[in-house]
Amino acid sequence: MAVAEQERAEAPFEPLLQFEMEMGTFLSDWQHCDQLSTFMARMISHNRADPVRHSNFFSSALNELLEVSFRGASADGQIGCAVFRQGSTERVRLTFPCPPGQRQFYREAVSKTRRGNAYARYLDAISTDFAPSREAVLLDLAINFDAEIHLDESDPPSITLVVDLPLEGIVS
Amino acid sequence: MSTAALSNPFKAEFDPNSQEFSLAGVVRPRSADEIAASISMLREAIDGVRGTFYINVKRLVQMNNTAFHAFARVLLDACRRRSDLRFVVVTSSVVGWTERMFGHLNKIEPQVTVEVYDSKFYPGQSFVEDTSFIPILRTQTKMTWRHERTILPRHGMRPGISMADICCGIGDFAMLVRKEFQPARIVALDHSKASLAYARDVASGFGITDIEYTYGDASEMLLEDNQFDFVTCRHSLQIFNQPDVLLKELYRICKPGGRVYITNEKNSHCLGEPRSKSIQWTYNEVAKLFSHFEMDVELGPKSRRYLADAGFDDIRVESFMVTNLDGDPQDFADIITAWENVYAGEMAVKRGDSREFIERFRQGFRDHIFAALHPKGYAGWPIWAASGRKPS
Repeated sequence: MAVAEQERAEAPFEPLLQFEMEMGTFLSDWQHCDQLSTFMARMISHNRADPVRHSNFFSSALNELLEVSFRGASADGQIGCAVFRQGSTERVRLTFPCPPGQRQFYREAVSKTRRGNAYARYLDAISTDFAPSREAVLLDLAINFDAEIHLDESDPPSITLVVDLPLEGIVS
Repeated sequence: MSTAALSNPFKAEFDPNSQEFSLAGVVRPRSADEIAASISMLREAIDGVRGTFYINVKRLVQMNNTAFHAFARVLLDACRRRSDLRFVVVTSSVVGWTERMFGHLNKIEPQVTVEVYDSKFYPGQSFVEDTSFIPILRTQTKMTWRHERTILPRHGMRPGISMADICCGIGDFAMLVRKEFQPARIVALDHSKASLAYARDVASGFGITDIEYTYGDASEMLLEDNQFDFVTCRHSLQIFNQPDVLLKELYRICKPGGRVYITNEKNSHCLGEPRSKSIQWTYNEVAKLFSHFEMDVELGPKSRRYLADAGFDDIRVESFMVTNLDGDPQDFADIITAWENVYAGEMAVKRGDSREFIERFRQGFRDHIFAALHPKGYAGWPIWAASGRKPS
């Protein structure tokens, strides 16, 4: 996405909360995904109409994103997660170091979430995979959380998953 | 019943009597190997059942895709092996993503269906959810508050605490508590979306943004363990068909050393003079009517036993009488009129009572109103307030 287009798209989103962590520290414990998603969800949901349920939904989605980065990232560099809000939508920007060989994978996986056959792909993943692929996880976010997912590659070697989650509408 | 407890707080259980496999808590494994015992339990459970197999996820707070795929795979494989079986996934309307996720399985194998369980658990809800009942609920809270504002501190209410009001209804008690006692945090939970919408509107109208109204099932709350210094649950155990289950949840979310405060009635002790006999007959019948619908509006004096059985100590019980002398007698009369409309006009009709019975039943309410408005009359509505401390 061009810089100007990115700025225009993000202009109305207000920042809520962000964290940064050394990737090596993040990867030292799988529980970090659960702990960070639970904490951030609780913090950003406090002023939603139904904070408890919004937090539950948001934690589900953010945990999946953190697990994607946990499974796919290299140990060098930092992971950063920032949450923004515009109306009933939260935007998550999750930045993590991505090995060069995986960049194309993320481009394709993100692209598939927007294709017409996304639901068929998702059902196929459920019915055939014993363990979900990262592609299936992104499809899950698009289908079960109505997420719109984009990729920002403007800061290599890191990549940024930009995920818009209209959860307030789903929860309420 | 067999149990495989994994990393706290996730729990998997199978009850062969009900052919129900339950998943509860947070399950976010890194790989399916971490939940291998539960996966095996599910597979073995399916092998040993006939007819309908239930997968209960109503207490499932979180499940990642790794776990979902692993459990889903077992179900889908079973569908292919066992065309004789039907699989019902029981979800809660509170945790909306479970319904969405498990609902996809039906698209793959029609043998798997999803049922949202929580329209059946609260027998009295339909009677009090009618929006025409809201003014009466407000009047009831106004009249009980005159007493409870002085009672609550004796049960642990104080400024700066973290509190939850479970079965908050239209949220007026939470508003009054907020103003009077300034707790640091209030979570107010109810299972009526209409009541919560009303509560949020009222709060918004007063510019109040710090009461966390949340939709939830009081018997299966999303709220975490040991969170609150003070948990209130007013006039609700008595209209819940399993008060012990609800108390267990109140206990769970209360901090060790914190207190749970409950209020309940003993309807047969409603009284009035003059015309006391007619009034007494009707309220005895009210207790029987509620019992027919699995509700115990005689629960008030049983509060001590319920609290003790739930594990509380330092139990305190007191009673107070809301009367026609608490402010405007017309308020009291309005409450009785609403009771007559719901109890005689709806519940007795639904039970199938005769016209003659309903007329006599109504007369007791009218006599209660007569006593309330009589210049020398007295009318009362007794309530028991009780609390227990969760041991440290």
